[in-house]
Amino acid sequence: MSENKKKLIVIEVVLIVFVIIFLYPIFLVLINSIKSFKEVMTNVLSFPSSFHFKNYTYVWRSINYPRLFFNNVVVTTIAILGIIVFSSLAGFTLSRNKSRLSWILYIFSISPMLIPFQTIMITLIKFVNIMRLPNNIYGLAALYWGFAAPAAVFMYHGFAKGIPKEMDESALVDGASTLRMFFSIMFPLLKPVTSTIIVIDVMWIWNDFLLPLIILDGPKESKTLTLAAYTFIGQYVTDWQYTMSAIVLAVIPSIIFFIFMQKNIVKGVTAGAVKG
Amino acid sequence: MEMRGANMGKVKNKPGFIIYVLPVLVFVTMVVYIPFIMSMCYSFTEWNGISRAAKFIGLENFRLLFTEDGGFKDSAIFTLKFSVLFIVTINTLAVFLAVMLDKKLKTSGILRAGFFVPYILSMVIVGFIWRFIFIQGFETMGNLTNLGFFSWSWLGDAKLAFWSVLFVSIWQSVGFYIVIYIAGLQSIPVQLIEAAIIDGAGTVVRFFRVTIPLIMPSVTTCVFLALTNSIKIFDVIISLTNGGPGGSTTSITYDIYKEAFQNNSYGYGTAKALVLFVAILLITLVQVTFFKKKEVEM
Repeated sequence: MSENKKKLIVIEVVLIVFVIIFLYPIFLVLINSIKSFKEVMTNVLSFPSSFHFKNYTYVWRSINYPRLFFNNVVVTTIAILGIIVFSSLAGFTLSRNKSRLSWILYIFSISPMLIPFQTIMITLIKFVNIMRLPNNIYGLAALYWGFAAPAAVFMYHGFAKGIPKEMDESALVDGASTLRMFFSIMFPLLKPVTSTIIVIDVMWIWNDFLLPLIILDGPKESKTLTLAAYTFIGQYVTDWQYTMSAIVLAVIPSIIFFIFMQKNIVKGVTAGAVKG
Repeated sequence: MEMRGANMGKVKNKPGFIIYVLPVLVFVTMVVYIPFIMSMCYSFTEWNGISRAAKFIGLENFRLLFTEDGGFKDSAIFTLKFSVLFIVTINTLAVFLAVMLDKKLKTSGILRAGFFVPYILSMVIVGFIWRFIFIQGFETMGNLTNLGFFSWSWLGDAKLAFWSVLFVSIWQSVGFYIVIYIAGLQSIPVQLIEAAIIDGAGTVVRFFRVTIPLIMPSVTTCVFLALTNSIKIFDVIISLTNGGPGGSTTSITYDIYKEAFQNNSYGYGTAKALVLFVAILLITLVQVTFFKKKEVEM
């Protein structure tokens, strides 16, 4: 038994050292973001001799951070609300209805999962322009309703099968309308899927790069956070102290989200991977 | 997916339910199906994206693509090589780490979270982080340790740049695969492991004969995810190597992107994009049937 315990301690120590090395690059980014340019160039590993918070104020102002943060919140919120409402309704309805038409529509709704984004991105822009859909954050958010729907419908459809039919029948007898019945009784029962979809889609949409890159067309204040960080870093290629503060500013919301939601994130990601 | 739904109890439902499905049908049609059909049409044309008229040129794009376009061939080879190595390495590493982390360790929770952190960062940002480490960080480390390893040109040499892209991609997402494997490991009944121990199976035998077969569903999931993610690799390349040096780390998706948005060859770009779609579809079908067989055999 004690032999076994010793082995466990060795494994634990090795893993701890490994994780520290694993996360060391992030730590390096953090300490270099408050150094002067000269200090970054001479020694990346040393602690900053003085704190240059000026790097942050410079980046903060030059990319208009509060505005970009707000843009990201708007895009993510509108996108997620639409995805949840429309996909849950469609997934549940298609799962309850046993007609052939329903089956065909289900296949139609989930098949886009097989089409890679890069296959349609070129003509998507063309189509967005033909339809005169707005090239701003609101138009972008609405596009996610379509891109996220296939996986979300698939998950809701699968989960709804496990909810006994008597639940909706009793609600209908009570005289509730179908829509009201759905949102007051069925929707709460779908909560596990809803939280999985929220976690996966928030992480995707908040960090997404290619779709915002090709869709958003306007001044730099109208971009998303990742996109603005990309453009900023592209301009300040070797001004490492600025690029490091830009990186920190860009990732801090994700890190905070992770710290508070860790359990939900891990659970959601696992459930999503296994079911999707 | 269950095929039973269609034939089960032929209840005559009124088609009124369509109204609840309609929003999804409209959105999916607008963002995926219509652009997809447009892609098919434009792939037979010469179209620069600016002029309204696209010139019909038949199969010329596809002929060019398969016979004369060395860049496309190189990007296909890069993507294939990258995907194979990514799938094998990340799954091996993740299974190994998951088995370690599944043991009764005091810091197990923190360690898992540590491995997961890069996964929550945007891929583009991860590329920038490592560009800094490879260029500036390695210089300092090289000066301190005098190891040749650090002074190699990790982003400037075509061969090394390949490994850098692979390494950074694995660094970013290994935590995700670990989490799925741990979930798989925890679903193994304890009695089975105990029975194997009583039967005298050693650690290695137990791992290959008991653990691996029992987490086969997780393996299927992870291989599938690793495949679909690696074949579409894009974000990390745009920020880490920009496809270089000399196009050596240009993936198919990055090639399509450059063709359309930098060379303005939209028509040719859509042809490439369609080839990517067919390739992914075929690989997915092969993989699904292959793993379905494996799971049934057990």
